[in-house]
Amino acid sequence: MASLESLTEDLLVRIYKGLASDGDRKSWRLVCRDFHRIDALTRSSLRVLRVEFLRSLLANYPRLDTLDLSVCPRIDDGAVAVLLTSRGSPWAFPRAASSSLSPPGRDPLAWTRGLRKLVLSRSTGLGHHGLEQVIRACAYLESVDVSHCCGFGDREAAALSCGARLREVKMDKCLGVTDVGLAKIAVGCGRLEKVSLKWCMEIGDLGVDLLCNKCVDLKFLDLSYLKVTNDSLRSIGSLPKLEVLALVGCSLIDDTGLQFLGGGCPLLRVIDMSRCNGISSCGLISVAKGHEDLVQLNASYSLTECSSILLRCFKDLKNLNAIKIDGARVSDSAFKALSNCTSLVEIGLGKCIGATNLGLMRLVSGCVNLRVLDLTCCHSITDAAIFAISDSCRNLTCLKLESCNMITEKSLYYLGSFCLLLEELDLTDCGGINDTGLEYLSNCLELSCLKLALCPTISDKGLGHIASKCRKICEIDLYRCNGIGDDALAALSSGCKKLRRLNLSYCSDVTDRGMEYLGQLEELWDLEMRSLFNVTGVGLMALAAGCKRLADLDMKYCENVDDSGFWALAYYARNLRQINLSHCNISNMGLCMVMSNLTRLQEAKLVHLNKVTVEGFELALRTCWVRIKKVKLLAALRFKLSSDVRETLHSRGCKIRWD
Amino acid sequence: MATSRKVTLLSSDGESFEVEQSVAVESITIKDSIEEGSAGNPIPVPKVNSKILAKVIEYCKKHVESAKAEDRVDDEDLVAWDADFVKVDQATLFDLIRAANFLNIKSLLDLTCQTVADMIKGKTPEEKRKTFTIRNDFTPEEEEEVRRENQWAFE
Repeated sequence: MASLESLTEDLLVRIYKGLASDGDRKSWRLVCRDFHRIDALTRSSLRVLRVEFLRSLLANYPRLDTLDLSVCPRIDDGAVAVLLTSRGSPWAFPRAASSSLSPPGRDPLAWTRGLRKLVLSRSTGLGHHGLEQVIRACAYLESVDVSHCCGFGDREAAALSCGARLREVKMDKCLGVTDVGLAKIAVGCGRLEKVSLKWCMEIGDLGVDLLCNKCVDLKFLDLSYLKVTNDSLRSIGSLPKLEVLALVGCSLIDDTGLQFLGGGCPLLRVIDMSRCNGISSCGLISVAKGHEDLVQLNASYSLTECSSILLRCFKDLKNLNAIKIDGARVSDSAFKALSNCTSLVEIGLGKCIGATNLGLMRLVSGCVNLRVLDLTCCHSITDAAIFAISDSCRNLTCLKLESCNMITEKSLYYLGSFCLLLEELDLTDCGGINDTGLEYLSNCLELSCLKLALCPTISDKGLGHIASKCRKICEIDLYRCNGIGDDALAALSSGCKKLRRLNLSYCSDVTDRGMEYLGQLEELWDLEMRSLFNVTGVGLMALAAGCKRLADLDMKYCENVDDSGFWALAYYARNLRQINLSHCNISNMGLCMVMSNLTRLQEAKLVHLNKVTVEGFELALRTCWVRIKKVKLLAALRFKLSSDVRETLHSRGCKIRWD
Repeated sequence: MATSRKVTLLSSDGESFEVEQSVAVESITIKDSIEEGSAGNPIPVPKVNSKILAKVIEYCKKHVESAKAEDRVDDEDLVAWDADFVKVDQATLFDLIRAANFLNIKSLLDLTCQTVADMIKGKTPEEKRKTFTIRNDFTPEEEEEVRRENQWAFE
């Protein structure tokens, strides 16, 4: 009997695990009760979209180890309180009756014991009370992410410190946290291994020192953009297990601090010191000399010059994989020194003064294992350099050539002949390339990300070549490519079914016909289409109805789209998370429909909506104030909007930007 | 030399198969019973009939042979051979899964389970049911609830 059900449950679980896509797993759970149960018992990670379903989902998925609530609107203290009551029936949420598909008597709070990772990034409505409740309830939690909850401060940090088993804390952009809050976390969570505090500007040396004293198991530390000084580096140097350190934009650090680092952190492998204006080659030398096992070194836009002693140091770093010295002046001898580091896989030379053809040829003669090469704004390089690069580095996967305007179709011929593993190519502002070049490039069948912004010389024909052969394309940037029109979109819609990200801004030849083609791209997720004058409501309707996964839409200046398009958007684009409608001719009613129907919308830019009155804005904002997180409005509206609306938005953690 | 030792396997329907020991021990179950000394000769393999046992032996032989070959080029050939090997009717495929599970041959189990997963990829629930003759035992309300969760609730 060829029945799938005759297989035992563990065998069915094996088959279920062979299904990689979300769509297949969802289809599986609709087949029959047994399959539904297998999905419920095997699924380990969930990203919840709507809070009404949260409680029943948590009750039915007992084996969850990861819960992502970052895109779920209305996560607040009240929601947490309901989630954590142990009473059986969750009648608080109207839709989610206790599921007849889950066996009776199952403990609705079992999920708290299994959860290891909780993502609450951008959950701006949550307060310290709710946060503390959920941290205490999930006693085995190891990782929590509250990044971009900009209103979070020391009370929320204190709530996090209740998680004694926490190993990983991400608090990027929690702007209110100070040394006091960090101290609480350091004392309460002694097992921390990974801490990220980017942009938490109130934190200083005192907090960092305490963190390093209390959390000796730290392996990963990100203090980017903080106003920490050399004293912090002295404390960090004492961490015995630190492997990854990020200090991007720490302008108060200089070479003295780097010397502390050079003498400490014996296991350091990755260091990012980009945009630190206080450091120089000298400091980097002390870091390099102290850490022979260094794997990645990023000093982009920090160095003015790469001294020859520094470059000779690199030769001793046998495991060096990646080095970024963007913005520095480099000489030909520098390239010669770098070419001795044959283990290099990634090199960043963006905006490097002195990058010449000869230098690059020397570089790639030694560094044949190169996969990623950034030559942004290296204006003096020509096709000869690209020939050398393609010929030597056959494993090249990512090449950035923005503003290299001497590059012609010959370079693309070389790439298409030798670098068949190429996945990412940036040709922004490369005025020398044309359709023939794109035809040569289409031999790179692994191409997934192609940037052609500001290339007026390419047309539908060139893009047609790419679309017909490069089936793995996920991202294309055609910003201000005047030669692009509907036919290019036709080619993309039939050839590049995996397209997720597309930028068509200012490609004004695109009409409703092009939009219809776009509607056939089911995976389209992020679309920028500024200033497309020839697109009307018909086009927007076709787009919205077809691209069901659209999450990010920028249609600023699309002035000829009328309300019929916006009504369609409100009806179909249920997954929309971010929208820019500035300078569009949407009416009061249209705006109200969009803001109220799109329940996943979190960010909206609504500047210069000439047909919308103050009452229109009031109404629209009232329909979504429980879930909107960021909104951009005309400055003049500041004094016309009622204080009621502004206060409620503020108390829900919504950020208003006045333009 | 252990490599030339042969063992005899007895299928559930009474047929004997003589194989090299190195091939037979691809199955952890058989390997364990040989090492414990609890297996007689011939080694009985209940639950697996001769047709399936023949296929399993064919698989193990091929994999043992290619492990011996030094060439890495054989990897691609092996993948192609595996793909051909699983081009059988559904009943045989499920029997192979059960046999691989019972005999504890991990690579064969992974191969066959992934084959079934690939067969049902992209199919709607109704198509999945038709392919494998499964009955839809949801009530209409339950089915509606699951459908709604699929569409709106999570990713």
